[in-house]
Amino acid sequence: MLILSRKTNESIVIDGRIVVKIVRVEGEVVKIGIEAPSDVPVHRQEVYDEIQRANKEALTRTGQPLPKLRQNQNPAEALQPN
Amino acid sequence: MNSELLIDEAETESAEHTAIRLPFGLLGFEKIKRYVLIPAPEAAPFSWLQMAGDPSLAFLVIAPEEVLPNYFPEISQDDVNYLDLSNPDDAAILNIVTLHPGGQATVNLKGPIVYNRNTLVGKQVVLVNAADYALKYSLPLAT
Repeated sequence: MLILSRKTNESIVIDGRIVVKIVRVEGEVVKIGIEAPSDVPVHRQEVYDEIQRANKEALTRTGQPLPKLRQNQNPAEALQPN
Repeated sequence: MNSELLIDEAETESAEHTAIRLPFGLLGFEKIKRYVLIPAPEAAPFSWLQMAGDPSLAFLVIAPEEVLPNYFPEISQDDVNYLDLSNPDDAAILNIVTLHPGGQATVNLKGPIVYNRNTLVGKQVVLVNAADYALKYSLPLAT
């Protein structure tokens, strides 16, 4: 892994088209600005990892019995993470 | 098999099967870019998102507006641009369902598949408001 030291407002250019800028450092939190072309997906690693895991768990085979959904749900039902 | 039946099947296919291209694939399945969306027979509102290369492998998906009235996915401007969504009606959303042993079903609300109804090009996006929603939201099942 390449390791570089940068100060606030300094940047790194990757492949001539992706710019990673250190916007702010507050204690243990580093705010980073990323400029990348729209064909370069950028994700937080942990979100990427958990969605990737969920996809792998969800992959299944067609033709199996499917559950029936309950009708008339309460619209106020929370959709937040537990 | 008689020819009349073959014709019927072909017509059904063109009416109900939607070929969707995901140029980035799905997270963890980046190399698989072509899918076919097929409503699950007798199991609305579920549909199958089948891998075009191997139709026995699929993801079970739902259109959230049918079951989750208070789900308001916010799509980043980059994704809106990439998918060429010039108005909100262009966007079709599919959430991936996981069937768990024991009959429970959960749905991923953080990272839906969004596709453009006109171009049929899509992407699994991470919502801007992903923090508001569960990765494994339990679907309310009929008991």
